[in-house]
Amino acid sequence: MRDVAIIGVGMIPFGRRDEDTLVDMLAYASLKALDDAGVEAVDAVYVANMGGGILQHQTAVASALVDRLSLLPAAADLVENGPASGGSAIKNGVLAVASGYYDVVLVAGGEKMREVSGWRATDFVATLTHPEVEYPYGITLPGMAGMFTQLYMEKYGVTREMLVEISLKNQHMGALNPYAHVEMLITREGILDSPHAVVNNPPAATPLHLYDLCPVSDGAAAVILCPLERVKELSKNVPVIVAGFGQATDTHTLAERDDPTDLKAVTLAAQQAFERAKMKPEDISVAELHDAFTILEIAESEHVGFFKKGEGGKAVLEGKTRLGGQIPINMSGGLKARGHPVGATGVAQVVELTWQLRHELPKERQVKGAKAGFSINFGGFGNNVVAFVLKRGEK
Amino acid sequence: MEQITAYKCKKCGRIHYPKHERCLTCKQREFDEIHPEGDVKLLTYTQIFNLPWGFDERFLYIGVGQFENGVKAMGQIDAPDGADLQPGMTLKAEWRPVRYVFGEPVYGLKFKPLS
Repeated sequence: MRDVAIIGVGMIPFGRRDEDTLVDMLAYASLKALDDAGVEAVDAVYVANMGGGILQHQTAVASALVDRLSLLPAAADLVENGPASGGSAIKNGVLAVASGYYDVVLVAGGEKMREVSGWRATDFVATLTHPEVEYPYGITLPGMAGMFTQLYMEKYGVTREMLVEISLKNQHMGALNPYAHVEMLITREGILDSPHAVVNNPPAATPLHLYDLCPVSDGAAAVILCPLERVKELSKNVPVIVAGFGQATDTHTLAERDDPTDLKAVTLAAQQAFERAKMKPEDISVAELHDAFTILEIAESEHVGFFKKGEGGKAVLEGKTRLGGQIPINMSGGLKARGHPVGATGVAQVVELTWQLRHELPKERQVKGAKAGFSINFGGFGNNVVAFVLKRGEK
Repeated sequence: MEQITAYKCKKCGRIHYPKHERCLTCKQREFDEIHPEGDVKLLTYTQIFNLPWGFDERFLYIGVGQFENGVKAMGQIDAPDGADLQPGMTLKAEWRPVRYVFGEPVYGLKFKPLS
């Protein structure tokens, strides 16, 4: 197997993009990645998208994208794996290059969720729950997270203050990120301490409140992959090496897990990624975790090995996950502030880490001297998880 | 509760709901069909305020409970806003409409606090 490098990345600002179609967004992000890499043609395209068929009544989005970009006759596949579609698409691209079958691969992830009502968007995401024993009851992904949070708080002593601290951190970072959906600064007083906080930050899915949830977003992101041995020939960028990846699954329903607080697929995906990279959690300079709900940033930081179980929340309060801390997490603002166009998210995480590892971000977001990055893309409610370990290569 | 069928592995005894073709634990393929029995112990719950398409209610309580014979299942909880629900409390399970699609009822589990 060949080593694989990321030589180009692109992203468009997330948010509400009424003027763009799904394929518009994928095309804009892809062009940025192609231009960043300095390549004109690719052998294959993998598109990550969860909802084109449901929300836009459009299928075969990968075929539409290669046509739109005049990348014909490149091979093109759509990868649908719920909110982990982005991570899955990159994994497939990495395997294709590593195997030697393709040399230059474009992976683009995108989602357009804001053109439907909040009711419809919530229903769309809930279609990933079990169609017979979960979905009919009106369960939503925030609802799943609410039940998980109740159990996690009880078992590990996570407090509302810890969750609020993640909201504050990630929205602060989002306000510094021009690609973020949510650029509004919030205060602890406004969402927790003030008697009026309940108006600003009402319960959404108890014990979670509005500011514990990521927004519903439009957006797209893209990466260009090639074999490490061809980097100097193809691109002038500092290569970012895909040092390892992992993917694991868990039961479809939360009720069937022996211990619903144990995110086994997160642990296994991370272990695989670290093992393949021959690295450990302490080798990581910066991480992008899948904080669709604030509780997940804490739980994932523990399950991947950055902190022991029960210590992730304390670490947040102690500033260990802030810029300059022990392990800066979600310097992009995370899903919480950058937004969560579901098919785009896993790709956006890798784009952000690539910028971090190329040392291209402004100092208020750049982890100084970052050498290795880590991401978790969390599908379903932890039933399909993709992890990456990336490291800075030599120019 | 005859409306729900769960599946008990003939080899290791693990109870599955919903159906799996192979046991999650021992991978064996033969099961005894069983039905949930008795009252329900509430394991966890949430009160959801942002509901998906198809629900007109202001909120829903949804929880996961375990029947006395070990079957675990999700269901709606029939309780008023502000109800004092606690994990570990005992609920009674009923088979009632949980949503309506084009005016037609969809039946499912409704849990009701015993007290």
